[in-house]
Amino acid sequence: MLNGFMKKFSGKKSSKETAKKRLQFALVYDKLEINEMTLENLQKDIVEVISKYFEIDTKSLQLEVQREHELSALVFNTPILCVKKNKGYNSKT
Amino acid sequence: MEGKIIVVTSGKGGVGKTTATASIGAALALEGNRVAVIDMDIGLRNLDVVLGLENRIVFNIVDVVNKRCNLAQALIRDRRIDNLFLVPASQSDNKDVLTPLGVQRVAKQLKNEFNYVIMDSPAGIEKGFENSVVAADEAIVICTPDVSSIRDADRVIGLLYARSITPRLVVNRIVPEMVARGDMLSHEDVMDVLSIDLLGLVPMDDQVVVSTNTGMPLVMHNQSLAGQAFRRIAKRINGEVDLPIIVPSVKTGVWNRITQKLGLNK
Ligand SMILES: Nc1ncnc2c1ncn2[C@@H]1O[C@H](COP(=O)(O)OP(=O)(O)O)[C@@H](O)[C@H]1O
Ligand SMILES: [Mg+2]
Repeated sequence: MLNGFMKKFSGKKSSKETAKKRLQFALVYDKLEINEMTLENLQKDIVEVISKYFEIDTKSLQLEVQREHELSALVFNTPILCVKKNKGYNSKT
Repeated sequence: MEGKIIVVTSGKGGVGKTTATASIGAALALEGNRVAVIDMDIGLRNLDVVLGLENRIVFNIVDVVNKRCNLAQALIRDRRIDNLFLVPASQSDNKDVLTPLGVQRVAKQLKNEFNYVIMDSPAGIEKGFENSVVAADEAIVICTPDVSSIRDADRVIGLLYARSITPRLVVNRIVPEMVARGDMLSHEDVMDVLSIDLLGLVPMDDQVVVSTNTGMPLVMHNQSLAGQAFRRIAKRINGEVDLPIIVPSVKTGVWNRITQKLGLNK
């Protein structure tokens, strides 16, 4: 279960950091009744879409779970290296 | 009198529900309230031994709900702490002998006679959980700082919200040394994951086992850190809402401080 996806985010941190990350994702899996595969595919698709417009650093992608009261949010974080000037998929310029 | 019914629950077993029920109940009574603690763990009763009242059981909660005796007959009065009463669970039945409706009827009676009624719920989220929360005005969710307990707590919190109860959290069995070296989730981590109001933090404490051995309520041991934590939790429940929550910290006794000064600690 702890495949590449989790490893990417747990790295060599203390065991409690790993516990916290695992928990946050476990609660998302539980609530949405999805699995890691679905999230990985979602991430792949998002990367694909964003890459049409921006040059992004795929190595430092981050997917996080943020919680507030009864709402959980998946937050996708990526540094944008530069805009792809002419490669916009639906560019209006 | 219109008392409050508070359920202590967790989803997972062995995290400290019974310890918390006994301790918070005893502490609320020491604060001057009339308190009844009810063991809802039908078939696996334990609250009686934790409180040292196991030798005085005649009737139990199943007898009361199923009208085999009246409430007064099943209430066991604690002789050490004024105004503390126990209604034990039955040991021979299974959880199906109670119905939510029956529990609600008895709960109404209890509310008329006590300031606080604390229900010790069984592990799980089935019938026994249902019976324990059906009459609750408030809920305390107990968890320990480990992954499975927190996940189960999240599930239970969801079920309580669905019943329009906003629970408060007690994190139990905190080992400050492990938190300090990053091998145990801190209470901040737990709060990040669960997003629920915090009611108190209870450290791991040998005295919990000792007081269960002897049947002497934990909150009567003045030196017990867990006992002190439960007493502060009771005060918060009892209206001292601003009483600060003390975070269990690594011991800094005189000897520790000396060895630190001398550089003997690593
Ligand atoms: N703060 C604590 N420090 C040390 N031991 C504890 C603490 N809280 C609970 N325990 C121990 O953990 C075990 C389970 O506690 P219990 O209250 O029976 O849990 P539950 O009712 O949730 O199953 C018991 O042996 C109890 O003595
Ligand atoms: Mg118990």
